[in-house]
Amino acid sequence: MTYVLEMKEMTKKYGEFLANDKISIHLKKGEVLAIVGENGAGKTTLMRMLYGLEQPTSGEIILNGRNVKFSGPLDAIENGIGMVHQHFMLFSDFTVTENIVIGHEPKRNGFFNRKAAAEKVKELSDQYKINVNPLKKAGDCSIGEQQRIEILKVLYQGADIIILDEPTAVLTPLEVEELLKTIEFLALQGKSIILITHKLPEVMKVADQITVLRNGRVTGNVLKQHTDVEQLATLMVGRELQKLTQRVQLDGEPLLVVDNLTIGGKEEKPILDDLSLTVHRGEIVGIAGVSGNGQSELILAITGLRKIDNGSIRLGETILDGTSVANRRSAGLAHIPEDRYLWGAAKEATVEETGLMGYYRKKTFNQSSFIRLNGFRELLKGWIDRFEIKTPSLDEKSGNLSGGNLQKLIVARELGFETDFLIAAEPTRGVDIGAMEYIHEAIIEKRNNGDGVLLVSSELTEILTLSDRIAVMYEGKIVDILNRKEATEEKLSVLMAGGN
Amino acid sequence: MNRKRKLQQLLKSLVQPLTAVLIGLLTGAVAISLVGASVLETYKVMWDGAFGNFYFVTATFARATPIILIGLGLAIAFRAGVFNMGAEGQMVLGAVSAALAALYVPGSGIIKILAALAAGFLAGGLWSLLAGWMETRFKVQLLISTLLLNYVAVLFAGYLVSHPFQDKSGSAALAQTPMIDQVAWLPKLFPGMSVHMGFVIAIVLAIILFIILRFTSAGYEVRMLGYNPFFAEYGGINKIKVLLYSMFFSGGIAGLAGTVEVLGSQYRYVEGSLTVPGYAWTGLMAALLANSNPLGTAVASILLAALQTGAMGMERNTEVPLEIASVIQGVLILFVTAKITMNWWKVKKKGRDIHGAA
Repeated sequence: MTYVLEMKEMTKKYGEFLANDKISIHLKKGEVLAIVGENGAGKTTLMRMLYGLEQPTSGEIILNGRNVKFSGPLDAIENGIGMVHQHFMLFSDFTVTENIVIGHEPKRNGFFNRKAAAEKVKELSDQYKINVNPLKKAGDCSIGEQQRIEILKVLYQGADIIILDEPTAVLTPLEVEELLKTIEFLALQGKSIILITHKLPEVMKVADQITVLRNGRVTGNVLKQHTDVEQLATLMVGRELQKLTQRVQLDGEPLLVVDNLTIGGKEEKPILDDLSLTVHRGEIVGIAGVSGNGQSELILAITGLRKIDNGSIRLGETILDGTSVANRRSAGLAHIPEDRYLWGAAKEATVEETGLMGYYRKKTFNQSSFIRLNGFRELLKGWIDRFEIKTPSLDEKSGNLSGGNLQKLIVARELGFETDFLIAAEPTRGVDIGAMEYIHEAIIEKRNNGDGVLLVSSELTEILTLSDRIAVMYEGKIVDILNRKEATEEKLSVLMAGGN
Repeated sequence: MNRKRKLQQLLKSLVQPLTAVLIGLLTGAVAISLVGASVLETYKVMWDGAFGNFYFVTATFARATPIILIGLGLAIAFRAGVFNMGAEGQMVLGAVSAALAALYVPGSGIIKILAALAAGFLAGGLWSLLAGWMETRFKVQLLISTLLLNYVAVLFAGYLVSHPFQDKSGSAALAQTPMIDQVAWLPKLFPGMSVHMGFVIAIVLAIILFIILRFTSAGYEVRMLGYNPFFAEYGGINKIKVLLYSMFFSGGIAGLAGTVEVLGSQYRYVEGSLTVPGYAWTGLMAALLANSNPLGTAVASILLAALQTGAMGMERNTEVPLEIASVIQGVLILFVTAKITMNWWKVKKKGRDIHGAA
């Protein structure tokens, strides 16, 4: 059997650190190969070597039976390898067509031939059933559309092997479905696809062959029909996943009560539209929704980071609306923010300083306005042990921590307040499976203790795993609230798209 | 292990300012050789002019006094993440208020001195607070308002000393206040030397500020606000309050710089005596060089003052013109501000992004 692509014993060393240790993969024409692994497993390094962005320390790349070496992405593109990056690289002021043909524009008399370009794009879009509007500005396109532009760009450049780097991380469930169909169709048309991801259900839907990486090594290479999600997860993590703690049935009294909350809406459509929501003690309420339907604003309104135009917010007996952030926090609110770099930490601050936020006001750590750092350090070290936060020292700049480790620090800090109520927005974004388990465990434990949790997540599986009740947000309203038992991914997807 | 890391970090933080100083000196060397003098000899004369004997050392310290205070004031604002460019106006208003308080507040010398210190601090502080208030209330950019308020302050002080409070005793009608009573002078540290009590005040203040910024909750709030205002707000820090306090103390300490010059060195407010030597801009440079660390700011201020007193010595004893010092300073500014502006720009950009998203 001939392969279109083989990578043999690829090794990449950064100083002493082995990012890739003799990794081999192979790919047939029209095949979908999924490369799965946790953050830091070496997926990205491997693909960067294939795409010419990094030079391997050793190993060889065999393309259509020829030994090749790429000095850069242009080289790779010439040889029919295209990559769709996780973060799109589009010019937002250019049209879809212009973005696709950029660098290889069709010309007439030396000038850019717009008409030919648009036709060419139309042709490609029909051939591969990838829907775009050629004349729209890229900046006005949704995330899903932008991704389709990137895929068309790669096809336009003549790629036969397409690398997709974590393509579903930013998509809504419906867009994911569509993308998976596109991938299947592309494979059917004879393109070979490399899908880099850590989302196993998607892998099980589209991949033919799966290579699992852990700590820079291959831990498994299997065909889809011979494996399942559990086996892949075990290969990824290196051990079997634990079953989540049993949830205790609790019928707590109302804790967070939001009534008729409204933001905006005088001249245009309101961002939050007369929204009411209750979280009881001993309950996790999950908010599902396509991002941009008011979830972020709801969190900011509850935590006091954004002004509201109407409505009331109560936590237990305390009225929150109109009070300061500090007041709300001391009334018993903790908050894992959705954007850890914007809200959750300061990159320039040390690990200790990022952890100290909020605690410096507590009597235990504040002696007539001098901060008792020694006492706090003990607490901080406890978090670092418990959550296995990897940092060279407490004085390391927070921005130098990996995203997952910083997230763990923030989660530890907010759980450490031991408040009655927790807002957890994207609590496991970017963390590896082991840490995700731990964070989920901690959130359920908090619930079982009789505290209330409001969970906002773009991962439907996370919402379904953790929530007791699931509220679906659409255009600033809660369109439905489902019980844990009745909620399914399908039902939620429909509601999230505004259907019934 | 931990100590070793700390040492490494300290060294790392020194690399940038030291490189700037080195490049400044190298550029100075090029300029010196262009005018045809010997580089090493000229630098030797400069060194002697700044630290050559006890007299020169005290002269350097005397010159450093207002620079340290200005630098400390600015360091507070920078730490809180705002660009206070109004030190000059704050200093001048402080100086003229202090002179008037020392002249017209009745009482013994110590009362006059305390009144003058308080008046100088308040005048500078309130002037700076005005800019802070305009920013929080009307979103008038601090960078611009503080810069423009300098003109208002300097011209207003000029008016005060050329009309209502002008010294009419002398034959020439200079724009200056009458001389303050000798009981209200800040004592000299050594007889016959120009360095005065103001230097001690500046050094003590540097130590106090260092401790406050580093070990207290107020200092923590200021630093976090400067690092990332969104993080500060999220954690329950009252952004507006901390910003206004920072601006008040920032301007107040700049006002003190003017005050101690009046009480310790000139004994009256003379128009132009504080603006012509460029204390405010040298102080700004010191704070930038030291990355707004109060102790570092004091050290950097003394070095920059030494550069200036040294250059005077150089002009006395060689053919090399005084302006060489300006060349070195100019290059210093260039290399130090490059980094600062980049950081500031990044923070601003981040802010725009979130507003755009919301």
